[in-house]
Amino acid sequence: MAATYNRILDLAKVQCRIFSLNLNPQGLRLGNKVLRQRLRGPALAEWYPKKTVSFRDLQDSYKPLSLTMFDEGEDDREEAIQIAKLRGKGRPKKKRTAAESRSAKKKK
Amino acid sequence: MSLFRSKRLDIGGFINARVIRDHTKRKVFEQHEPERQALRYIIRNTSLPQRARAQAQLQLSHMHAYTRSTQIKNRCVAGGIARGVVRDFRIARYQFRQQALAGELPGVRKASW
Amino acid sequence: MSLLFNPHLLAKFGKQSLYAVSARSITTTRNPDIVAKSSSNVSRSINERPAFLTEPEPRNWGERLDSINHKTRLPRSVQAVYLRPLRRKAEYGLPVCDLQLRSYSVRNVELFADFAVRAAYYLKLPISGPVPLPRIIERWTFPRSNFVHKKSQENFERITLRRLIQIKDGNPQSVQTWLAFLRKHAFYGVGMKSNVWEHESLDVIKNLDDTAPGVESSLKVHLSQFGQQRGGRAQSSISGLLGDIQPTKNRSPLNDVRKG
Repeated sequence: MAATYNRILDLAKVQCRIFSLNLNPQGLRLGNKVLRQRLRGPALAEWYPKKTVSFRDLQDSYKPLSLTMFDEGEDDREEAIQIAKLRGKGRPKKKRTAAESRSAKKKK
Repeated sequence: MSLFRSKRLDIGGFINARVIRDHTKRKVFEQHEPERQALRYIIRNTSLPQRARAQAQLQLSHMHAYTRSTQIKNRCVAGGIARGVVRDFRIARYQFRQQALAGELPGVRKASW
Repeated sequence: MSLLFNPHLLAKFGKQSLYAVSARSITTTRNPDIVAKSSSNVSRSINERPAFLTEPEPRNWGERLDSINHKTRLPRSVQAVYLRPLRRKAEYGLPVCDLQLRSYSVRNVELFADFAVRAAYYLKLPISGPVPLPRIIERWTFPRSNFVHKKSQENFERITLRRLIQIKDGNPQSVQTWLAFLRKHAFYGVGMKSNVWEHESLDVIKNLDDTAPGVESSLKVHLSQFGQQRGGRAQSSISGLLGDIQPTKNRSPLNDVRKG
């Protein structure tokens, strides 16, 4: 029995040498399973779609050539802001100092 | 975390603070994965000295939370929703329904059997 | 791919196809059973035609093609399109390549499978014809609306149809040509994947030795990055390597080696 065990051990040794495996006849915990795992990072990192060219980029690229484009969405937005301002519903002025913000609070 | 977030927006599709945060976590995890795996190997290897293993444990637990894979959550690419996301299409159930009914998902039809 | 653009090879293919059709007509005239069944024999004389017309059985594609025009006829290759694809017979039946076609629509996958079979014939590749593999049915069920209205749900499904085409004992080069040809003329909505098996002769070691120089030369670029190079910048003496770093001398009772 011992002879057969040794023979099998030799076989395992040769096998491990040829295929460059780790020989571990005692069955110790060497943590090799961590090394065998694939890296999941690249697959996980490409979940969200990559950024593509937008209308804004096109606009910016033509700006140095002094070519302007008509962006309907942007135009609508600016118009809406203008209307809101006229109605007095515009954005409040930015408070630069602490004193200004305090005075705003006191008014209430 | 702002220290990991990219200065320029590098994803397309639906943008949301939570989507950007999740994307940042994914990138950070990808960056630190080899290091984490190396530490994990040291911890699991019983043939290494106990001291080294304990140090590796400490080091691993002291790494930033964003380098952990458990922080990553699959979110809908088209709506930013984190629940009911179909992995095959990366889309949550409402977006899936809309797109499938519009015929934008190849091969997907209303089933009846 | 480059093989396809080789004019000499193309000429060869042309010859081969001509030969194939002529050979087929010979065989059909030889055994009358097949003639009756397939009735693809274009060389049938006009005298026979009235006899066909009197027969009650519906006319097949072959006869219809013949009757389109008496004076001129379509080219053989075009006529062959209307008929069942021709096949080569496998001599040994050793599988060389498995091609799986996948699609969501029956029409596309059937058409492309037929195309692949025909292409294989002209490349002298024996195949075992498109086998319909089990369909892959994926189903999803979602509530139509919010959580509250869970009772009203909607089902969606996606059915993937598959066809398997297996090439038997073909020349590896022509198998590659066939795959490249199919990739070039890929049909919309049809995915392909293939497993290719290459067979070695029993004299493996000799073949390995023969290919070793080529492999070594291709790996040289990568291997040169590893280890120390003999003629490189690495200095032989340790003092040179360390430079001006002086080994520290610690005087302590146990450091000195006692003599005698």
